[in-house]
Amino acid sequence: MSDAVTVLRRKRFGGEATLAYILLAPAVLLMIIFMVYPIFYVFVVSLFNTDKLARIKDFDGFGIYLKLLSSKDTWVIIGRSVLWTVSAVTIKTFFGLIIALVLNVKYTGNKIARLLFIIPWASAIPISDMIWRWVLHSEFGLLNHTLKITGIMANPPVWLGNTITAFLSCLWVDIWLGIPFMALVFLAAMQAVPQTLYEAAEIDGATRIQKFKFVTLPGIAAILLIATLLSSLWTFNDFNTVYILTKGGPAGSTNILITYVYQNSFEWLKWQKASALAVFTFLILSVVSIVYSRIYFKREEM
Amino acid sequence: MKKVLLVLTLILILGVVSTNLFAKGQDEGEAGKSTVTFWLCDYEGIDHDFVKEIAAAFEAEYPEYEMDLVIVDWDSMHDKLTTSLAAGTPPDASVIGTRWLLELMDLDSVVQPGDYLSQSTFDNIAPGAMEAKIDGKLWGIPFAAGSRFMAMNTSLATKVPSTMEELREYAIEATKDGNYGLIMPGGKHTELSDFVYYFYAAGGDFFDANGKSTVNSAAGVKALEFMLKLANDDKVLQEGYVSHSRKQAQPIFFAGKAAYVMIGAWADTEYNKMNADWDIQYLQIPPFAGNKPAPLIVTDSIALYKDGENLEGVGKFLDFLYKDEWKAPLDKQMGFPPVTISAAKRPEFQTPMYAAMGEANLNAKGWPLVTGWAEASSIIIDANQKAFLGQMSAKEALDWAAVEVDKARAE
Repeated sequence: MSDAVTVLRRKRFGGEATLAYILLAPAVLLMIIFMVYPIFYVFVVSLFNTDKLARIKDFDGFGIYLKLLSSKDTWVIIGRSVLWTVSAVTIKTFFGLIIALVLNVKYTGNKIARLLFIIPWASAIPISDMIWRWVLHSEFGLLNHTLKITGIMANPPVWLGNTITAFLSCLWVDIWLGIPFMALVFLAAMQAVPQTLYEAAEIDGATRIQKFKFVTLPGIAAILLIATLLSSLWTFNDFNTVYILTKGGPAGSTNILITYVYQNSFEWLKWQKASALAVFTFLILSVVSIVYSRIYFKREEM
Repeated sequence: MKKVLLVLTLILILGVVSTNLFAKGQDEGEAGKSTVTFWLCDYEGIDHDFVKEIAAAFEAEYPEYEMDLVIVDWDSMHDKLTTSLAAGTPPDASVIGTRWLLELMDLDSVVQPGDYLSQSTFDNIAPGAMEAKIDGKLWGIPFAAGSRFMAMNTSLATKVPSTMEELREYAIEATKDGNYGLIMPGGKHTELSDFVYYFYAAGGDFFDANGKSTVNSAAGVKALEFMLKLANDDKVLQEGYVSHSRKQAQPIFFAGKAAYVMIGAWADTEYNKMNADWDIQYLQIPPFAGNKPAPLIVTDSIALYKDGENLEGVGKFLDFLYKDEWKAPLDKQMGFPPVTISAAKRPEFQTPMYAAMGEANLNAKGWPLVTGWAEASSIIIDANQKAFLGQMSAKEALDWAAVEVDKARAE
């Protein structure tokens, strides 16, 4: 055995490495128990017929997957979930960037402005959703009342009462809840960009847009990637907003994958179908995460 | 050496923390108290402080028990219950819609309450309320039973409809000055929106003798077409009815902005809360011309769970709860007529609302007792909404619903 291999083995198992393994062991164990095992079990349940308490009965193989993939409803819901996520994350990223830029400028009261922007994110999401449900109420809601008394709209829409406005309302509430996180993360990233780069750009005669394009954006790119990845995962799984505002209605028009999983499992006790849908969710989000991490690590290597 | 010390310190800290946690658990055991868990539905009108008072009084009378009395929103109860049953950690007992009982029995998760409550409690319950008796065995203790009826705001309408067609006529008359003729929740909530009232009034049944869906029968189509007429042609309903659950729609009536509403036992409590300057009158839900009246009767029961940890304790709690001192005020708050014989005689239950409910009971019809009802009702609500949104005609929507209900129940 060569000396190099012996040294490597010592590094992997001796001294500091052993300590590292010991310290990591509890976290790894907890991850196996609370993350790996449930994911594995959900996959197993999807392969079996179950009773109403999710107890496994007879083996069904991939039957439920074939059934779901040949159902129009599944594709409509997956399509809606993707549309929901892409629209929400794009808007959150765009406005998050603008807000971060505004908050990054020094002016009187900018600390208060920062505080105000964080409020939606600091409140409990279900409570915010419930407040929005009230704001959007067609009869007693603050929004329609305001639109009426200010004369902006004599007959404002019933926001949660038809398919398009209900979807847009849910989208808006998710965006409202998510923008502060994006703005804060971008703001922190912007503040880490060295001031000297801006000074150099200024000496070179760069305009504000050029400074943003060639200094700010590359400086925050890594954080931008991570923040949009996190936001995509959270938005795809934003059960609270849809369930509290519309319960997936009217006529199923706001149902996304996560609410559909909930309906099939806890409302209708169809655990096999719910598990298969959860596996779809896992696969979709895994693909997104892998693509993001590839881009991220490629940038790191450059 | 330092590293070894660090590891040892960490192990020590973990050890101390876990020992403390373990010791805490033992202390509770040593105190000799065992916890009784009971989930109560959050009925409209229920006074949460009074519920806490019941728990405290029980603990005072039975110091060996600690009462964990949890109030659960009606819309969440079914889901919360199934989750806890799937996890093997249900409460000792809970309120359920009696319509869920077959499903719970199918799961082999309930026990007969007769083994845990005293005979005197059962002797005081009206035999007619024992809907949860299946094949001669009682699986749920009657908790609340009440027929649905109509309420009328007498400052906006005074005519008492004897048919649905008359109701439509009077609702049109009352729709003026920003007030609505009729309130109708069309959103998804625990129940099947208001469709069931019109469906039963047209003589409909959800299933035939073979368990096949008959929601698309002539009665179903008639009911939904009538509802569509009220909504789209006559425009007598509140704005945004498709998005309103019961809890979001009925406050509009109590705010004095609508003439008629189909409602249940909580009407009096909600009306009194508003300190309204208008009078309320209770009426029967009329049938369609040529049909017999058939209002919906809803019964709720208390189920005891096989995996509950303290069935003996919960039996004692329920004996305690069913005393007039506690159950009668609770019934009054919820608005339901008492299921206990002694409380029913009390003067507070001899009011016009209880008289209307008593009259409705004579012709009332319950929810279908079938498995898979949760999904079936969700499909029927979707069908209603598809028709309301103009995506399908009433007939098309109900034909679609019938196929989907049969498919869902067969899976």
